[in-house]
Order: sequence, then C-alpha cells, then structure tokens
Amino acid sequence: MHELTKLYGNFTAVRGLTFDIAPGEVLGLVGPNGAGKTTTLRCLAGIIAPSSGSVAIDGHDMRREPIEAKRALAFIPDEPHLFDYLSVEEHLRFIARLYGVADAESRTPVLLEELELTDKRRALPGELSRGMRQKLAIACGLLHDPRALILDEPLTGLDPGGMRRMRRTIAARAESGAAVVLSSHLLNLVEELCTKLLVVRRGECVAYGSIKQIIAARPELAGRSLEDVFLALTHDASGA
Amino acid sequence: MSALLFLVWTSARNRVVSVLRRVQSPRYAAALIVGVLYVWSFLVRPASHAGATSVLLGQPTEMLVTVLMVVMLMGSWIFGSDATALAFSPAEVSVLFPAPLTRRQLVGFKLLRAQIAVIVNALIWVFVLRRGGTALPSPLRAVGLWVLFSTLNLHRIGSALVRSSWREHHGAGARRHRWSIVVFAAIGIALLVGMFDGRQELLAAHGLGGFFTALARALSRPPAIVALYPFHLVVAPTFAHSIGEWGREILPALGVLLAHAWWVFRSDAAFEEAAIEASAERARRLEAARSRRSVAGTRPPRAATSTIELAATGRPAMAILWKNMLCLRRTAQLRVFIGPAVMAIILGASTADSGADAGEVVAACALTFAGMLLILGGRLIRNDLRHDMLHLPLLKSLPIGGHEIVLAEVASAALPMAAIQLLLFAIAFVAADVSAHAPLSAGVRLALLAGAPFALVTLNGALLTIQNGTAVLFPAWIRLGPTVSTGVETLGQNVLSMLANLIVLALALIVPMFAAWLTITMLAPYHAPALAVAMIVAAVLLGAETYGAMRFLGGAFTRAEPLQTA
Repeated sequence: MHELTKLYGNFTAVRGLTFDIAPGEVLGLVGPNGAGKTTTLRCLAGIIAPSSGSVAIDGHDMRREPIEAKRALAFIPDEPHLFDYLSVEEHLRFIARLYGVADAESRTPVLLEELELTDKRRALPGELSRGMRQKLAIACGLLHDPRALILDEPLTGLDPGGMRRMRRTIAARAESGAAVVLSSHLLNLVEELCTKLLVVRRGECVAYGSIKQIIAARPELAGRSLEDVFLALTHDASGA
Repeated sequence: MSALLFLVWTSARNRVVSVLRRVQSPRYAAALIVGVLYVWSFLVRPASHAGATSVLLGQPTEMLVTVLMVVMLMGSWIFGSDATALAFSPAEVSVLFPAPLTRRQLVGFKLLRAQIAVIVNALIWVFVLRRGGTALPSPLRAVGLWVLFSTLNLHRIGSALVRSSWREHHGAGARRHRWSIVVFAAIGIALLVGMFDGRQELLAAHGLGGFFTALARALSRPPAIVALYPFHLVVAPTFAHSIGEWGREILPALGVLLAHAWWVFRSDAAFEEAAIEASAERARRLEAARSRRSVAGTRPPRAATSTIELAATGRPAMAILWKNMLCLRRTAQLRVFIGPAVMAIILGASTADSGADAGEVVAACALTFAGMLLILGGRLIRNDLRHDMLHLPLLKSLPIGGHEIVLAEVASAALPMAAIQLLLFAIAFVAADVSAHAPLSAGVRLALLAGAPFALVTLNGALLTIQNGTAVLFPAWIRLGPTVSTGVETLGQNVLSMLANLIVLALALIVPMFAAWLTITMLAPYHAPALAVAMIVAAVLLGAETYGAMRFLGGAFTRAEPLQTA
C-alpha cells in the first residue's frame, strides 16, 4: 500500500498510509476506535476505492488488475456476511467456483473439520451461533489458500477454544507463505502473532515497524507493556 | 408516550434529512429532478382528461375496491401474510420492550409509525383521484383515504395479533378472540355464498370488465351485501361526489375506524409474543441489514435438504446465478412462478361444464398471467442485486468484474420469470389450438410462440436491469433486501415506481419496435415468419441495449461503496 488516502466528502478517513507486507509476515493494524483501520482494510481488499494512492496484492495493482488482485486475497470481516439460504457446505462450493478451487472437494472436509463445522455442514446460517457463523466466514476465506489474508477483528465471537485455534491458523498461514494483515484491539493477540505493527490514529500512521523498531524510536517506552506503548503512541498523537 | 412520539418524529426527520443530503451527489441530484418532474407530470399537472380518470370514482370501482379490500384482509387472516405488520426493529425490541412502557403504548407506537406511510399514500391518491371530476374538495378526499388506509392498517395488525394468540395459546387464544374469529369467518362465508349464488353470471361474463360487473351484481344481494356493509362504510367517503355526501358518510367510516382501534387495543394481550416473533422473523431474514416487509419470501428458507450441483471450476459468475437459484428454491418464491400456470388451467377447466369455450378461457388467462408476471414479477421476485446489495462488501471483494455480477444477478430473476411466461405462452398456444374461436391463425400463433423465448428473455432482462439499476445507482434511496413494502397504505408509492419502470422500458423499446416494424414491412409477403423474425430482431436490439446498460451498471457497481447502501 502506497500513500493511501481515503476521503468521505470533507472528512479524511485515512491519510497517506504506506506499508508493505512480505510473504510470511503478519502486520498488526492497531489504533483507537475511528482511527481508519476498517477503511484501510477495505481499501486493501478492493471493497472501496482509495481517493489517492495505490494498493497492490501479490504484484497486482488493485486499480488496474482488480480481478487478479482479489483472486490472491481473502478478506474476513468482523461481522460475517453470509447468504441466508446457502448451507455451510454450499457457501464453500460457492467460494470454490468463484476462485476456481479445483480440489475443493478434498479440501472442504478438512477445513470443516479444522473449524469444527462438520456436523453443521448442511445447516443454514440462521441455524448457526454467532461464533459458528464467524468460523464459516473464516473457512470461506481460507478455502482458496490466499496469498494475502486480511482479517478485521478475527477473534470476535469465538469461544476460547476457537480463539486458540484461530491464532494457530493465522500463524500456520503465515508460515506457509501468506502475507497477513490483521486489525485487532486485543493487544496480546497482536503481540503474539505480529511481526510488524502499524499504529494509526485519525487516519494517520503514528508508528510502523517491528515492536523493537518502534521502541527504538521511542526509548522512553522501553520495558513497558504493549498496552502502555499503544496508549502512549495514540495519546501523544492526539496532542493530549 | 412523549418519548415514543420523539422517536417517531426524529427518526422520520433524520431519514428525510439523510435522503436529501444525498442530493449533494450529482447522480442523486439528477434523479431528484427527474423524479420531481415525473411526480409533477403524473400527479400535479393540470388534468386534461378528467373523463378518463373519473372512472376511478365510479360505482363499479367502489365495489371493486371494497371486494379487493376484503380479499386482502382475508388473505392476512387465512395465510398470515401480514404477520410482520407487527415487526419491530432489533433496536426497538432491545430498547422498548424492557422499558417501562405498557403494551398499549407499544401498540400505539406501532400505529403511530404506520401513519407516516398512511399519510404519504393518502396524499398520492388524492392527487390521482382529483382528476375524477367530482365536486369533493381534495382535503376531504384525503381524510376519506386516511380513514380507509388507517382502518386497513389496524385490521392487519388486529388479525396478526389474533392469529399469533391462537398459534401461541391454541384453544385459550382462540377462545379469547372468538368474536373476532366468528365475525370474520361469517363475513367470509357470506361472500362465498354470494359468489356461489352468482356463479352462472360470473362464468358467463366476457372480459375482465364483464367479470367485475357480474361480481359486483353477485355481491350486491344478501347475504354478501350485509357482510360487505362495514367495508362499504369505510370505502364510501373516498368515493363521495359531493360535500354533503361525504358529510353523511364520514361519521360511519370513522365509527368503523374507532371500532378497529378498540379491537386492536383490546387484542394486545398477545402483543409481545406476536411482536417478538415477527421481529425475530424479520431480523432473521435480513440479519444485520435493515428489515422490511415482504410479498414473497416471508417464510424462513427451507432447510438445505437438497441442493443443486455446481462444479468447482468454470465461469465464476455462474456461482452467483447458482446461489440465487438456491434462494428461489428455498423461499416461497417458486409459488409465484408455478401458481399462474396452475390457475390458468384450473380456471379454464372450471368453465368446461358451463358451456363456455374452455380453450379460449385458458388461453386468455394464460396470456393475462404472463403479462401480469412481466409487469409485477420484478416486485415479487427480488433474488438479484436489490437483495444482494446488502452484501456489497462481500460481493466487491470477489474476483469477478462488476458487469458480470450485474449480468448474473439480473439473469437470476429474468430467466426463471421468462421460463414460466414461456410455459404460459405454450399453454395459451395449445389451448387456442383446441378452441373453436381462436382469434389468430395457426401460422401466426406458431410464429408468436417461436419468437416468444427471445422476446421474453430480453423483455424481462431489460425490465429487471432497470430495477437493478435503481439499486446500484441509488442504493440509499430505495429499500434493499428480499422484501418490498406491501399493504394498500403503500400502494401509491408502489404504483408510481412501477409506472416509472414501465416508462423507461417503453423508451428502451422505441428502437427495437421500429426495427420490428421495418422487418415486418420488408418481409410483408411472408406474414407469419415475418412476425417471428421481427420479434427476434427486436429482441436482439433490446438485448444489446440491455447489455450496454449492464456494462454501465457494472462500472457503477465497481465504484459503489458500502456506505452508500447505509
């Protein structure tokens, strides 16, 4: 992402954000409410067009080659968007066709098992709990083995077991070469998984790099918890 | 109650403000200008053909409106299609239900909120009916319409409460509302008896006008006339021709309205159960989205017991078509497709022993239903972008081009609709073949049947592209989701939007129709084949225009942002 800016009328949601994520890296996007995290992720996923700047996924520019760029990514929002009248299994078949997953037949049972949805494979979203719907959205995102994985609050709605499995899944995807961007308010998750941090406030980057690099730039924060670092960074930026 | 009034007032005001704010966008500003001109030309412009519209205020129309009102209310009693008339939004359920409010206050809130639609539509109909050439001032007509629509709204809520109480509490619920049930059952039986007595006249009637005249005659005799009396009272002020007549009729109508209000407030014992059930039903259907009432698809999707196969590889857009076909299969929408064909055959068969030409009746019914499906089908079937725009973030993250999404979505509704219309055409063809009074030669009928698949696919495609285009271009101004507003109180808005769609279709048809005329002229010696070729030529041209519109809408879809649907 290069110099991304997003305006809504006169309001600047994101201003001049630049970052990159290599295969295997996990970028944590953190910031207070209304900082522009979801807007940034939506621009990254091609859901909204930037007012200026550019986004490229797996070498494909989102503006010039949107289909190729989108084929390489998966976006998992905090609120699962599911179709009321497609069962769990049919959601995966739908995604398989959209992304051309030729071996979907063999991958689907594994994925359903991994996310504990096997017993619910014929259930419609209305018959699933909030957590299960979230798991289904995650399964849809993982089916085509994306090169870039974009997650907005990935642990929302999951039970403790589900959270642990989700953390493992994210780590495993990164280890297998996917570039992962996740937005979360759960700083322990960010600390555990992320190789880089992007701290935003009011749409602007206030810190970017590994936690070591960020602390190196602010020596007074050395030895403090990530929560303290986060609060100091976002508080400072507000000018308070 | 002042808090509820505040909620209704501020919500309505903020909604209007947010709609008007959109006008800052050139696209919405242009639409507003076109819309104002359209409303002005249709409703406000000085009438030049008062005679043409005066039929709207005639005696037959009054009877027809009364009968339609009874039929609609019977539908809500028997099928419960208006159960969601009680629905509250999730926010209202979570805030108002635990709040220290009485049931009657909640019922009052529901009625108060419905008044917005009632008043808007009463005003629309005042403009429509003011060309009737009567001496009744418009404000008095507006009061008459307000009484009519408010009574209908109250009756729908009342019947929903009774049905819900019966369902929840079985015998006890039925006993609690026994008088409501007995009265309405008696009305239904009286009307059926009236129609049975007049069956010979009804079956012998020619054309739609003849049928309604015979129906009016059949229902003007006891016991039907007695059963219809309260409904006549409510309808009468709207059709009054003078101030004196209106003055005599408005008080009894207000009496019926007040009786309905009393009945609804007395029926509120089952309110929470009914309202929560209705709200849950609505919330389930639209999940995180805004919820509206529905014509079709009011039932939850059936369990995924069977499916349609879909290969994992191939054109990705097919996945959208497949998804929407499953939606069609799993909701009640299929009945919309199959019902007309079955009804056409049943109506024809029922005339077989009355000496009428069954083939002619079947053919006429089949073609009428096909036409109705073309005009109204798009309102009944919404398994396209008008529904899926609610999933805009998901659709936009998919690796498919915008125009391919639009094409697949439009095809999802247009192809099934064309298929059933083609079936109706085929039924009409066969029926006309066995009829003794077939109005067209066999060659012409065959030509029409041959050209029909092309014409029907493109006509439906064009009309649905127009309707989907509204969803893509003006998502903030229209109701998205599987539902549309129903009920007589929103009929005015619905008629206006339907006419607007038909006007755009008529404009799109200018070039294709000219080409068809040219083809028929050039191939004049080959009468029947020329007709088939002309239909195909027109269909190809309309298809090309539609595809161009889809490409344009694809671009607009690509640029659309989730906030615009909010």
